[in-house]
Amino acid sequence: MRILIAGGGQAASLVATRLIREGNEVVLVEENPDRCHHLEETLDAKVIQGNAASIRVLHEADIRNADMLIALTSQDQINVLVCLIASVESDVKYKVARLRTHEVNYWRRILQRAGLHIDLIIHPETEIADRILRVVRLPGVSDVIDFAEGRVKLFGMNIEEKSWVAYKTVEDLDRAGPPKNSLIALIFRGQQVIVPHGAEVLNPGDHVYIVTTADELEPVCQFMGLQTQESLDRVYILGGKQVGIRVAELLEPRGVTVKLFERDIARCEKISQILRKTVVLHADGTDESILAEESIKGAGAFLAMTNDDEDNLIASLLARKLGAKKVVALINRLNYLPMAQRLGINTTVSPRLAAVDRILQFVRKGRVLSVTTFREVEAEAIELIAAEGSKYVGRSLREVRLPRGAIVGAIARPNGEVVVPRGEATIQAGDRVIFCTLENTVPLLESAFLAEARREWV
Amino acid sequence: MGVIRPAALGYILGQFLLALGATLLVPLAFSLWSHGGPAPLAYAAVVTAGTGSALFFGLPRPARDLNRREGLLLVFCVWLAVSFFGALPFYFSPAYFSSFTDAFFEATSGFTASGATILTEIESLPRDLQFWRCFSHWLGGMGIVLLGIAILPLLGMGGMALYRAEFSGARSEKLKPRIAHTAQALWKIYVSLTLMEYVALRWAGMGAFDALCHSFSTVATGGFSTRTASVGAFDSPLIEFIIVAFMLLGSINFTLHYRLWVERRPRRFVSDFELRTLLFIMVSSSLVIAAILALKSGYAPAMAFRRALFQVTAITTTTGFTTENFAQWLPLPQLILLALMFMGGCTGSTSGGLKTSRMVLLYKVVIREFERMVERRGVFAVRVGNRVIPETAVRSLLNLVYLSFLVNFLGCILLAASGVDVFTSIAAVAAAMFNIGPGLGNVGPVEGYGGLPAFAKWVLSFCMLAGRLEFYTVLVIFTPAFWQR
Repeated sequence: MRILIAGGGQAASLVATRLIREGNEVVLVEENPDRCHHLEETLDAKVIQGNAASIRVLHEADIRNADMLIALTSQDQINVLVCLIASVESDVKYKVARLRTHEVNYWRRILQRAGLHIDLIIHPETEIADRILRVVRLPGVSDVIDFAEGRVKLFGMNIEEKSWVAYKTVEDLDRAGPPKNSLIALIFRGQQVIVPHGAEVLNPGDHVYIVTTADELEPVCQFMGLQTQESLDRVYILGGKQVGIRVAELLEPRGVTVKLFERDIARCEKISQILRKTVVLHADGTDESILAEESIKGAGAFLAMTNDDEDNLIASLLARKLGAKKVVALINRLNYLPMAQRLGINTTVSPRLAAVDRILQFVRKGRVLSVTTFREVEAEAIELIAAEGSKYVGRSLREVRLPRGAIVGAIARPNGEVVVPRGEATIQAGDRVIFCTLENTVPLLESAFLAEARREWV
Repeated sequence: MGVIRPAALGYILGQFLLALGATLLVPLAFSLWSHGGPAPLAYAAVVTAGTGSALFFGLPRPARDLNRREGLLLVFCVWLAVSFFGALPFYFSPAYFSSFTDAFFEATSGFTASGATILTEIESLPRDLQFWRCFSHWLGGMGIVLLGIAILPLLGMGGMALYRAEFSGARSEKLKPRIAHTAQALWKIYVSLTLMEYVALRWAGMGAFDALCHSFSTVATGGFSTRTASVGAFDSPLIEFIIVAFMLLGSINFTLHYRLWVERRPRRFVSDFELRTLLFIMVSSSLVIAAILALKSGYAPAMAFRRALFQVTAITTTTGFTTENFAQWLPLPQLILLALMFMGGCTGSTSGGLKTSRMVLLYKVVIREFERMVERRGVFAVRVGNRVIPETAVRSLLNLVYLSFLVNFLGCILLAASGVDVFTSIAAVAAAMFNIGPGLGNVGPVEGYGGLPAFAKWVLSFCMLAGRLEFYTVLVIFTPAFWQR
């Protein structure tokens, strides 16, 4: 497939890397010559230097023959304009645009009424807010990913030195009597991904992903030595930017006490008009004395959501030290993410990664129901519907040979039953099957699993 | 920059050697036909493929893509290895090549599409070796690594770094988003040009074997012939004209060929500034030389133009075919040819030299300096045709020109030190560095390079490699910075 990407920032280059690896032809349009040079050095793609909103530049990038357009420049206006030009000048099949304005929902409506059809509008701030909401009650859990309409959950956690599970093997945990439906699916150790077998040891510092069902999420967390909070007590939000406000809006109706720190007085006044129940504090939330005064100790969650990565990191570390149960940091720069993890901030959210995930999900749609890509490392969790006639259907998992590096995480049956399988389970036609797998086996799985694989995307 | 992983380089090098071993089997067909025994080529194929498979199967598959530094080193290693193993068929034929030095010189000259030869009598050479000489031109003309990227699927890793390293200075436009597809598109054009020339030469009455070999040599702008007297041996205006046309086609930027044939945009082709400049310089030089030949050397006007046009085209496109011994011409035509050696054809083509557009750019940069002297606060952009050249490109051009003169100068000193006369050394180094082939003075088209001392042959082999890879790629490997951790 020929894909034109407008913009050459971090998100664009990450998306391009993945798409190229999957065999697509990618052309990027980027304005900054130095950045162009960097992209040319690192990507097997054609890079056109110029403004993406220029019709001449888009023609040079061969927009006429593109199958898909992804608008990822830093400016919303340009992203919309690129889609507009594409819809007139070429018959590109799919258009994707990232918008960062908080008026995104108005925009969706206006664009639709104006007759400009954009297949996917990504608003990273919404994605992030949703992601935060899923983990805010679960200290120690880095992220929760839904599959099969939320019936299956995949959650990530760090193995702590003090935790009882540290240095145990997967078999040891099995013997300790975990909740029925649970499975350690992937272990991330440094740059390595491991699909574990029984003898694998959980080392401190490992990041593991566990599959379970919606009902058993909390019991499994407790089994793994993590606390869970029945109800959220107090939530502190640092920074009155889009994400912060959005999260506050989502928390308010749940009866949670929300307090929001904002340094700029004018901004404070504005936020206090938008948010009804949230207490807006005109204070510097990176200041230890102010945080101590606010009795962060025992607070349900502390969410550092300013536009400044360093502020977010510092404030998160402070909040953790002062005893907040759950700490989430928003990180813009991707190269800070591994460091944040090492510093012990186990939940980070990134607008760029959120956009990348969403785009890859969209690209996969049609053959795969749902997909999650893990950071940096080449592993994915995908959800497929077992087709009649696939060689996996009707046989127990013990008998079928999965590609190396793939594991069946869960089977969600059409009747609502969910199984986290242990070898003897059988896949039936129509089941939704969630695989955790190394990225390079994804095409193999797809072709083997869908009897009549739709190859149009490869 | 990242560390250099010898195992990763060896693994990829192994692939190249396996492929080279396979290509050595092609001329084997001629061995059986010409002298019954497949000996030298078969041995060479076995040694090459054996070394290749030892590297390829013995080393682990690299986990990560090649980084830039490894890319540069690999390109140099590939060219070195190909010249080394490509020399084996010659080395195993001691009747014609007395030492490994001679064999390596001949193979390097082949793969770099130079066309400098140590042989003085070519007709007696067995057909398989004659074929291998011309075939090596053809393999190397378009770029060995580019060929590798096009056909070796495993080379997907680090293809980018390699592509950049082989086309160091001339950042030719990428035709397709993916590097492998770009390489394939370029090779398709290359193969079609070769086929077209073969058909044309057959039509003009050339024998099948000669036509095939000359097609390989011409499109690659190499210069090896199957005859001692080169193209002059056929004494046919029609053949000469066909070869002139295809030498020119081979030295046109392949992006332009793509625009014309694949995208069918003839306007881009006709209006190309570099091509127009090249044609202008070639035609005017031919006219000047023809006039001198006619007036001072007593040639008939038609013959003078025929000789001048062929020789100017052969030298400018850096092919190096000859129709007569131009080393016997008057000094002025010889010096014009020497100047044309430095210029060469278009960027992104098979020809060597500093490339026409660079010469134009150099001229514009000099003019701009004058403008700056007059208008102290003026800011002037450098334009070539309609394109504004970025300052970084200007800087790297000046570096390149400086480097080429430095290498030229050092080469001349080394040649002179080994006992070669001054004019011969200047011409020999220029002819080697810019991949032309026959030089002037004592290394003219008739004498060849056989009479030079062994040391001079090694120096010239190195010059051919350095020139083919446009200096940076080779020379950077000899800088301390390259090896620093």
